[in-house]
Amino acid sequence: MVNLPPPEILLQLSLNGALGGAMYGVAAVGLSLIFGTMRLIFLAQGAMIILAAYFVRALFYGLGIDPFLSLLIVVPVGLVVGWLIYQGLFRKAAAEEDRNVSLLIAVGLMFLVQNLMTVIWGGNTAGVVTSYTASGIELLGVRTSFTRSMGFLIALAGTGLVILFLRKTIVGKAVRAASEDMDAATLMGISPHRVNAIAFAIGISLAGAAGVAVATTFPFNPFAGFIFSLKALVALALGGIGNVTGALAGGILLGLIEAYVQFFISGGWTNAIAYGVFLLVLMFKPEGLFSRPYKKA
Amino acid sequence: MSRASQWIAIVVVAVLALLPFVPGAVDAYYFSFLFFVFLYAVMAQSWNLVAGYGGQISLGSHAFFGLGAYTTAILWSGNYLWGSLYDSHPNIYYFDPVTMLLGGLVAAIAAVVIGLPLLSKLHGDYFALGTLGFGEIVKVIFVNGGDFTGGAFGIVAPASSFGTLRPHYWVGLGLMVATALAIRMLMRSRYGLALIAVRDDEMAASANGIDTLKVKVAAFAGSAFIAGVAGSLYTFYIFHVGPDSVFDLDWMLLPLMMTVVGGTGTILGPILGALVMYAVFDLARIVVPDYHPVISGLTIILAMLFLPKGMMRLSRKARVAGA
Repeated sequence: MVNLPPPEILLQLSLNGALGGAMYGVAAVGLSLIFGTMRLIFLAQGAMIILAAYFVRALFYGLGIDPFLSLLIVVPVGLVVGWLIYQGLFRKAAAEEDRNVSLLIAVGLMFLVQNLMTVIWGGNTAGVVTSYTASGIELLGVRTSFTRSMGFLIALAGTGLVILFLRKTIVGKAVRAASEDMDAATLMGISPHRVNAIAFAIGISLAGAAGVAVATTFPFNPFAGFIFSLKALVALALGGIGNVTGALAGGILLGLIEAYVQFFISGGWTNAIAYGVFLLVLMFKPEGLFSRPYKKA
Repeated sequence: MSRASQWIAIVVVAVLALLPFVPGAVDAYYFSFLFFVFLYAVMAQSWNLVAGYGGQISLGSHAFFGLGAYTTAILWSGNYLWGSLYDSHPNIYYFDPVTMLLGGLVAAIAAVVIGLPLLSKLHGDYFALGTLGFGEIVKVIFVNGGDFTGGAFGIVAPASSFGTLRPHYWVGLGLMVATALAIRMLMRSRYGLALIAVRDDEMAASANGIDTLKVKVAAFAGSAFIAGVAGSLYTFYIFHVGPDSVFDLDWMLLPLMMTVVGGTGTILGPILGALVMYAVFDLARIVVPDYHPVISGLTIILAMLFLPKGMMRLSRKARVAGA
C-alpha cells in the first residue's frame, strides 16, 4: 500500500500537472476546431507548435523581442498561415469524399515542417532562456515556475477568446453549425470553405500561442511536435471531440494524470497509462467526459 | 485482370526472381532498393486489406510490424524454438518459416484482442484514433519490458555469418507475390464480398445477414498477420530490433501513403505505390541528402493534391473514358 504523501506535495503535483496540461489543452482546442468542421485529424498541429516555438526563439535572440510580447506577432501570423495552409493545401481535399487524402496531406506537412526546421535550425535541442526563466512565484501556498503559470494564462485566454468568438459572433455561429452538420449548414448558405479556413486560421494561431508557452517553458527540438499532437488528441478525446471547453479541460486532466502517474508509479509508464485512459474513454464515453448527453457521438 | 496483363505480371515476377543470378546484381545498389520495395509493398498490402477493402482506417500497422519483429528477435536470441538443433545449425533461424509465421501469429492475436473491443465500439475516425493509441501503448510496454524485450535498447539478434542479401530478396519477393495473390483470391471469395459490403454500407451488410464485427476483426487480424510477417523479415535484415526502430511511425505512415498514392482497394496499387514512392524517397536521399525528408514531405503533399485517387484509379478512369 502506498503511503499518501503530505498534502503540500499533492498540491504541488496537481498544480504542476494542471499548468503543464493546459498546454496540451490549447493544442487540443485547435485540433478540436479543425476536426469539428473538416473531420480531419490534423497531425501536424504539434509540428506547427514547435515551428512557432522556433519562431519565438528567433525573434528573441535575433531582434530581442520578449517571448511573451511576441504573442502579438505570433498569433496574427498564425491566423494568416492557417488561412494560407487551408487555401493552399486542404481546400481541394476537403471536398473529397475520401478523408485519407487530407490526413495524408497533414502527414506530409508534418514531415515537411519538421525537416525544414532541422535544415534551418539543426536537429539539436534548443530553448529560450530569459531573465525570468528560472524565477518562481507563490501560488496557493506552493512555489511554481513563472513561465508555466504564464503558459497556463495563455491557454486560458486563448480558449476563452475562441469560446467568445464561437458564441458571440455570427461567423463563430457558422463554425459551430458546420461542425454539427456540414450538409445542413451548407444548405443554410454557409460556405464550407470559409468555415474550414476560419477553423484552420484559429487552429494555427492557437498553435502559435502554444508555441510561446512551449518556448518559454521547455527545451524543444524539431521532432518534439509529434508527441504533442498525440497528447493533444488524447486531451481532445477526454474532453469530447468537438467540444472546445472540454478540450482545455481534457488537457488539464491529462496533465494531472501524467503528474500523478509519474509520482506514484513510474515515469516510464506515463504514456502507456495516458493512452490507456484515452482508449477507455474512446470506447465507453466517446462523447467525452465533460459533455452533456445530447451531444452526438 | 486481363489475360495479357496476367502474362506481363508472371514475366515481371520471373525476371525479378532470376535477377540475383545476374553477375554483379547482388552487389548493385538497386538490389537492396528492390528488397525495401518488396518489404514496403507487403506492408502496403497489409494496410490496404483492412483500410482499402475493409474501410476501417487503421493507424496501428507499425505496432503489428514491431510485434512481428520482436517475436522473431526474442525467439531467435533466446533460442526458444529449435533447442539443440540450433547448435548444429547456426543459421536455422534465418528465414525459418515457423519463426516468421509465429511473428505474424502474435501480431494477429494482438489484433484480435484489441480489435474486438475497438471495432465493436468505435467507428471511422474514432477507430483510427484508437489504433494510434494502441500503437503507442505497445511501444511503451516494450520499452518497459525489462530483460525480456531489452528495454529501450532492444534486442540484438545473434547474427552469424551471413554475407549475402539474396535470401532476403527472394523471401521479400515471395512475400509480396504471396500476399498479392492471397488478397486477390480472398477478395473473390464470399468473405471478400462481405468485407466490401461492410465497407460500402455497414447497415445494409448487417441487414443481409453478415456478421459485420466478425468480418472487420478478421480483416484487421489478417492485416496484422501480414505486417507481423513483414516485421519478421525485417529482423533478418536489421538484426537490431529496438522500440524506436521497429515501432517507428514510418512503418505505418509510409505504407499508408504508398497505398493511397497507388490506389486503395486495388491489388496492384500498393505495389505500384511502394515502387514509385520509395524510388522518389531514395532518389531524394541520393541527390539532395540534406533535404531528403523535406522532399519526401513535399512529395506526399503534391501526390495528394494531384493524384488523390491513386495511380490505379487514374488508369481505370482513362480506360473507362477510352472505351
